[in-house]
Amino acid sequence: MYIIIIGCGRLGSTLASELSDAGYDVAVIDRESKKLDALGSGFNGLRVKGIEYDNNVLREAGINRASFVISVTPDDNLNITASLIAKNIFKIPRVIAKINEPSKKDVYKVLEIETINPTELISYIVRSKIEGDPK
Amino acid sequence: MKSIIIGGGKIGYNLLKTLKDRGYNVTLVEIDEEICRKIAEDIDTDIICGDGTNLDVLTDAGIHSADIIAAVTGNDEENLVVCQIAKKGFNIGKSIARINNPKNIPMFRALGVDQTVCSTEVIADLIEYEFDRDICKIVQTFDRGAMILVEVTVKEGNRWIDQYVKELVLPSECVIASILRDDKAIFPRGDTHIQNGDSIHIITNRATFPEIKKQLHNGGTQYAKQKK
Repeated sequence: MYIIIIGCGRLGSTLASELSDAGYDVAVIDRESKKLDALGSGFNGLRVKGIEYDNNVLREAGINRASFVISVTPDDNLNITASLIAKNIFKIPRVIAKINEPSKKDVYKVLEIETINPTELISYIVRSKIEGDPK
Repeated sequence: MKSIIIGGGKIGYNLLKTLKDRGYNVTLVEIDEEICRKIAEDIDTDIICGDGTNLDVLTDAGIHSADIIAAVTGNDEENLVVCQIAKKGFNIGKSIARINNPKNIPMFRALGVDQTVCSTEVIADLIEYEFDRDICKIVQTFDRGAMILVEVTVKEGNRWIDQYVKELVLPSECVIASILRDDKAIFPRGDTHIQNGDSIHIITNRATFPEIKKQLHNGGTQYAKQKK
């Protein structure tokens, strides 16, 4: 299975390394080569430097054969733009984006983009730890 | 007609002023408080300070009753997201996005933005026009080159000189719209006679343009060859 990860920050790079180690074909796109270098020599996947939603960059990353596109940059507008292009122009079956600003959740919903919401998840975990405390 | 402008930079500010002068009902959304304050001192209109890609902010700006929305920030992603929200979330009839990087135009159009304006491309075209010493100049591009307005200044040695319009051999995808002679517009008919120095305006498309150039110059080169 071929997976494209857009954004090589903390989440993007961790995801890329883990998926690659698990045997998936992975391509990572980021506009900063420094971030791509941080993946280290252990990473087997493809690294593409460029504007994350640019047609040529996406093609270079092999979007035509991707089954998953994961958009995890720290900019919500960038995530939305990249997701819409992957979903509506390249017809990728599964597109998942990271929500950075919790108030933008509705925007992703209106545009029918599947999301993960780290803030909500962390908050839920912390809350359940507090509420689950016997004392 | 109610309109919303997202982004209060140079373009947003001037657009706001123009629309306001023409009596439109305009609301401006700008994220920077300082800029909001400055514009508010200048122009008497509704200004919302907030993120134009936030649904609550857009609701405050009255997007439910807006007819047209123009996203003119310096960030292409932001402009796209605004137009997408307007279309899919609020069913706005017309959305216009400013595009900073010309490479993004086809993609934005494919995603359903009604109208794109790329200042970078417009400026580059204008400069190219000035550089263009050729007698054929592209004056205006419509719909990304699907239609272009070309100006041809006929000179000595061109095939078209001293010919009637009906005699010209032209590709099918072009129309002669007007001829300028001594600053006067002539609306050409078949019996219009083309003279030296005429500026001929032709509507055509990018694909046919080289064909027209060839038609125009061929006569000249052939004539030169014959003379030798």
